[in-house]
This record gives sequence, C-alpha cells and structure tokens, in this order.
Amino acid sequence: MRLSRWLLLVAVLLLATVLGVAYGTLHLSLVDVLHGVTGTGSATEVAVVRQLRLPRVLLAALVGAGLGASGAALQGATRNGLAEPYLLGVSGGAAVGAVIAVALHAPVAVVPLCGLAGALAAVALSLVVARASGGQGDARVVLMAGVVVGAFANAAIMVALAGVDANAVRGALWWMMGSAADASWVQVRALAACVAIGVALLLGLARAIDLLALGEDAAAGMGVNVARVTLAVYVAGALLAAGTVAAAGLVGFVGLLVPHLARMAGARTHRSIIGAAALGGGALVVLADLAARVAHPPAELPLGAVTAILGVPFFLARLRKLT
Amino acid sequence: MIEFREVSVRYPRRDVEALSAVSLTAARGALTAVVGPNGSGKSTLVRALVGRVPVAGGAILVNGTPVDESGRRSLATRVAVVVQREEPAFPLQVREYVALGRYPHLGLFRAPSRGDRAAVDDALARMAAAHLADRSISELSGGEWQRVRLARAVAQGADAIVLDEPTTFLDIAHEMGVFELMSRLAREGRAVLLVSHQLNLVARFADHIVLLHRGHVAACGAPADVMQGAVLERVYEWPLVITRDPAVGALALVPLRSPARD
Amino acid sequence: MLFAIRVRHLTATASWVVLAGVLACGRAAPPTRGAHDDFGDTIAAAVAPRRIVSLNPTTTELLYAIGAGDRLVGRTSWDLYPPRVRDVPDLGPGLRPNVEAVIAARPDLVILYASDDNRDAARRLRAAGVRTVAFRVDRIADFARVTLELGRLTGDTVSARTTVDTVEATLARVRATTSALPRPTAFWILWESPLLAVGGGSFLNELLAVAGARNVYDSLPGPSPAVSFEDLLRRDPDLILASPASRQHILADPRWRALRAVRAGRVLVFDTTIVNGPSERVGASAVSLARLLHPGAL
Repeated sequence: MRLSRWLLLVAVLLLATVLGVAYGTLHLSLVDVLHGVTGTGSATEVAVVRQLRLPRVLLAALVGAGLGASGAALQGATRNGLAEPYLLGVSGGAAVGAVIAVALHAPVAVVPLCGLAGALAAVALSLVVARASGGQGDARVVLMAGVVVGAFANAAIMVALAGVDANAVRGALWWMMGSAADASWVQVRALAACVAIGVALLLGLARAIDLLALGEDAAAGMGVNVARVTLAVYVAGALLAAGTVAAAGLVGFVGLLVPHLARMAGARTHRSIIGAAALGGGALVVLADLAARVAHPPAELPLGAVTAILGVPFFLARLRKLT
Repeated sequence: MIEFREVSVRYPRRDVEALSAVSLTAARGALTAVVGPNGSGKSTLVRALVGRVPVAGGAILVNGTPVDESGRRSLATRVAVVVQREEPAFPLQVREYVALGRYPHLGLFRAPSRGDRAAVDDALARMAAAHLADRSISELSGGEWQRVRLARAVAQGADAIVLDEPTTFLDIAHEMGVFELMSRLAREGRAVLLVSHQLNLVARFADHIVLLHRGHVAACGAPADVMQGAVLERVYEWPLVITRDPAVGALALVPLRSPARD
Repeated sequence: MLFAIRVRHLTATASWVVLAGVLACGRAAPPTRGAHDDFGDTIAAAVAPRRIVSLNPTTTELLYAIGAGDRLVGRTSWDLYPPRVRDVPDLGPGLRPNVEAVIAARPDLVILYASDDNRDAARRLRAAGVRTVAFRVDRIADFARVTLELGRLTGDTVSARTTVDTVEATLARVRATTSALPRPTAFWILWESPLLAVGGGSFLNELLAVAGARNVYDSLPGPSPAVSFEDLLRRDPDLILASPASRQHILADPRWRALRAVRAGRVLVFDTTIVNGPSERVGASAVSLARLLHPGAL
C-alpha cells in the first residue's frame, strides 16, 4: 500500500481520537479539553477528560485494532472473506462468563474477567473437542468444534438468564451488545499489552498467511506447515478477540468489515492488510463509540449496535457488486 | 534428483491404495513425465511429496535425503512444486506473488535481500513475464497466469521442479511454450518432474515417461518404449493406435472411434 | 412509626420497580368507578375468599397489612415481606405464572399483576373457574385505591381503611415538613452497568419528591432509564442515593469524583430493596428518606 495511504490512515486514527476526546454529552471547548489533558483545568474538566473520555477512547481504539487485525489474519488463513474474529466459540464463551457474573450481581469490575475466562475456556474447549474427534491437525475440524462450543454457549446463556431479575437481564444484554462505557486505565493497560502481543504475533505469521491464501496445497508446496500455521493463526486471532471481548463486550462487524476496507484501500500482502486493518479498525471503533455517546442523549447506544448499523449497508453493497 | 522408492499411499477410509509400491526417479538434467488415466494416482504422487497425504510405505528422497528427515521449508529450497489448482483468495501484484517463492529461503522474518529481488526479476525475465510485474494477478489471462506461476517456481531457486498438470486451459501456443520452458529448465541441469495427461506432448518432450495405472507402474522408460499400443490400450481402456507423423517424426497416440458406432 | 433500614441486595426490589414501569407500557384502560380491576374486567361480588394466591409482592404485603395474610396459599418467588410469607408456598414467577401450579393450590381468589404479559394467565384461570383480579400498584396513588379494593374483596374494609389513612397521614406530614425546606437535586442509582437511574415513571421518584428532593431525571418518563455518565455529569446533582454496594463502588471509582456530590461526600445509602413497590411501608420509607435527606427535620 502506498505510503500516502498509510499516512492517511494514521491521520484518520489520530483525528478520530481527538474527536473522541473533544466531544461528548458534556460540552467542553477545545481549550477546556486541553486543560483537562494537561491537568490544569477544573476538577470536572480533568475528570471528564482523563478519567472518562481518554481511557474510553483508547480502549475503543485498542478494541478496534485487535478485532481488525484478528479478522484480517483469519480471513487470509481461511481464504474466506466472511471469517471473523469470534471463531472458536469466543463470543459465546465470553458471553456465558459475563452473563453468569451479571446474574450473580458481581461487581462491574469483575464481569470482564469472567468474560475473559469464558472466552479462554471456549477456545480451550474447541481445541479439546477437535482433538477428541481426531482432527486436531485439520483446521476445519477445529472451526467446527468452535461452532459446536458456540451453540452450546448460547443455550447456556438462555438458561442463565431464565430465573434472573429484570435489571440483571438488562445488564447482561447491555454487556452482550458491547460498550466502552466502563473503560478504566487498568483495562486500557491490560488490553494494550494483549493487543500488542497479539498483533505482533499475527504480523509475524503474515508471510505464511500470504502463502495459505494461495491454497493449502500451494502453501505446502512452498514449505509451509499448513496444519501448524493455520492453528497458530486461529488461536492467536481468537485470543486477541477474547481480550477485546473482555474489555468491551461483543462488538460485531468490525473484524468482518475492516479487512475488506483495508484490501479495498490497496493493502495486498497480509503484513499490510493486518497493519491497515488494525489502524482502520481502531479509527472505526473510536468513531462508533463517539456516535454511541452523542447520538441519543441522555442514553448511550450500545457499541455493537452502532457497528452493526455501519456494517449492514456495507455488506449489502458488496453483495450487489458480486451479483 | 527426486526418487520415489516403493511408495504406497492409502487415503483414509478407502479400501484401495491410491499408490502401491510405486518407484520412479526424476534425474537431474532430464524431463521426467508421469502419465496415466484419471484416478491412476498421478496427483497423489505430488501430494505425497509435499506431505499433504501420509505415506503408508516406502520412502521419498530428494537428493538422497528422505523428505521426512528435512524440514518442510528446507525441502522447499530443493524442490519447487507447482500444484494443479491454485486460486488465490486475494489479489496480489505479479511481482509480490513471484516474490512469495522466496519464502523457503527467507522464512517468516528475514527481509528480502538484493539477491532475493534479483532472483525474482530473473525468474520473471526467463518466463517472459517481466512486463506483467506490476499487474494484479486477478487480471491475467490463463496463459499469463501459468507463466507467472512458473516464474514463482523458478524464483524459488530449487534444483528440482515438480509440476502437476501445468497446461490445463492453455491453448496451443501457451502449451508449447510451457513444454519448451520445462525442457529448457531440464537441460539447464534441473530435475523436472511433470504430471500430465497430454500424452502426445509428453512423448515429444520428455526424456523419461512413467505410466501409472490404478496406483501401479504399468510401464516406464524412453518415449519410444512406453508409447506402445497394447499397454496403452489396456491402461486407458480405449481402442487406440500409435502413429509417427511424417512431418516431425513425433510419436502420437490416436484414439479410435467407439466400436459400437460401426 | 420507625422501620429500621434493612440492608438487602439492590436488585430484587429494583427489578420490580423496573417491571412495574416497563410493563406500564402495556397499560390497560384506566380503572373506572365501580367494581373493575386494572384489566378493565368486572369484579363480581362474591363470598369473601378463604384461599388467596397473590402473584405480586406489593399486593402480598397489602394483604398482610389489612389482616388477610393468613389466607394466602400462594405467592411468587419475589415475595419476601413480611418474613412469615416464606411459609406460604412459592408458585414461581409473577409474570407469565405457572397456571397449573396456581390452579393446583385450589385458590378461590387469584391476584395478578396487571400487565399484558398476564392477560393470557387471567384468561386461562377464569376459564378454569378461578376468580381472578389484576391490579397494578406502581404509583403512590395506586396504593390507596388498591388497598381499599383488596379490603372490599376480602371483607377487611375497616382495616383497609385504617391502613390507608395511617399511611396517607404520614405522607402528608412528611410533605408538609419538607415543603418548607430547601430541595436538593438528587440522582438515585439503580444499576451500574448500564447506568440506570430512578426515572419519572417510578414511585421512588414520587417518594423522593415527598421526602423533599428533586430527581435530576424526573423529566424522563420511564421508571428506570439508562443514562450516560457524561449526561449525569452535565446535571451534576447535589446528592446521590445508592445501595450500600453501589456506594462502595462509587467511592472507589476515580471517574465518579468528577461529580460534586461525590467530592462533597454526599453519597447517601438508601436500600431500595426493602420497598418493592408502594405498599403500606411507603409512609415509613418516606420518613426514613426525609430523615436521610434533611437530618434533624423530622
């Protein structure tokens, strides 16, 4: 991808971040925002900017980057433009963990940890199920195991919500629809570490993904250990997605959509696609979070709803182009 | 040099072996062709070489070393395989695609050196595809795509090249071009192993032919030895005659019309 | 009268408050004068019931208050006051109840919560020959009306009248006292994620007004609207009401320090779980809340 495009992408991400910090329900002038950032403003300004908007915007950017990179890597490795980061039952497992926590009225800070535990359990379970079916070397078996685990998780969520009071149900649904509202600096730091490691891993595998994208036989002919590399990409992508789910719940469409946008912008090798998808995904989710905050005051829209609203027309347009 | 020694392959949950104790050698400096009807095991040979199907018996050796003793990547620096079907899911530029052929040397992390870039340019030039370097592979014609694929195999810089049906969907000019290239690559000292169903072209260009029938070697040797009516009729299960055309002197297989029509 | 504030978990009551309001969307026609319940169905005159099933925590409380509690043969899982109600068989949920379980208790009167979710249950119970009435006790005004109606149904008209009068007197006393006092703005948090506030449609909002404060979200029609944190910052209330657990989280979370009320130490604990809806305890709740908001006034 041309250098000018990369610069544009970085500029868009920076602009989105600035907008995200500058705008919100509480009206602050840019000067006030600056005072908030530097700590010289009033208590409200500093608190809004440093404790509310900045962690939230950074969390959103990290979630978008993680989902974009994961989706790009998975689409390349599966040679399928419809692959998305919530493979291996990640979304279902995370939802079970979080819903159970909410149903038990766990403190808000504990819910993401339960979500993460659920996601990790789902990935592990998918691998175990695949091994038990004798196909741990075949990536398709692992994928199918993930579907099975996800279906089981959905059933478990229904059961968990059956006898629970109305507010807890609302809390569970709110979590499942995705939100960056509870962002804290602790979460931002944890997610930053997770995304940095995950994206680095996927970028490292990028060349192998380029070869996988030619076909499994062709890749094998050029020396790629197809089974091992495919599994590595799946697991790295799923763990990256699990980290984002723990931080912000289920944010759909980003991992599906952004790799297409990256390829449309001219990224061709997977090193470029994954990198561009990370930057683009970050910008997208920051803007979606901004929209979620200001579209319908005093309430907030769920983040997943905003990204879905963006995603549906995009895919309709692609569909028309195919037919 | 590529050697198959008594190689047997059985696909899971199938009763019949796809390959039964098949032995053949693709020597350096020669164009060796594997021919046979559909289902005779030709593609299975290639898959066994790249490790996509498990080998039940026998051994495959490249330059004297069994393939399962070398790493996949190290093997790929010695044998370049052009598989039958390749459908890139996402568009790349031709140059980027050919550069992927350097993966066995670079691995995941090493940056391409000047030598790697030179290998890519050289391969494109040899395949007369240099003018296509900046085009997208999704825009290429069938013939151009095959040349580019071969360029990638050449860029891999291996001593041996294996090609599985490289001339599907190509017209006469491009077919001849590919066969002439393979012949040239062999004469330059490489071991070229070709899987093809184009018996007549194989007869003209190959130095050594192996005829497979239901997983067994039915005949092997120089074209004149293998192009025998009786054995070919038995293997292909169709009446045919072998002729030698007066103009070029090439052996050709001519299938006869079905007897029921007479 | 003084009731001690019992510390219990936030959500059980909050849930009924939510349900009460949320299902107010399925509001039946307003009850007309004469014997009609809140579904608009006629309440036929009949012999006083001896086996009552009450599928609503508030009506359960009211039945005990008017002296008809010992006739209860069935309640919901959410009915937990007064404590001796635990001896009454638990028949499951109050919304879309298990009709067979209700019929199996052989009641001669079933009291349902009047939401559209329960219309089907009402129909099926009546078809089975069981006398069924549906009431909605969501607002303080409903308390008086429904208590008197229950009194008529059970034959305890005198104690019903007494109950209503006592509570209304208490409420009037509190109103009178607080009307002369400055009214601070308040935010009453029901749930943290999403951030749910007591809204204009909740009886807790009415309680707050009686106790001498103004809910910053009074203008929102729902009983428990979701609000964004920044919007709360914009309104910057004088004080915050929260359950004990929520108060702990609020004080520990640096984001909340952006609010004046938190910085000034005005995060007050009022556990809403003790009051499911405007039952006979609403008077005492008003007193407790007023004492909390205006120390020394009552």
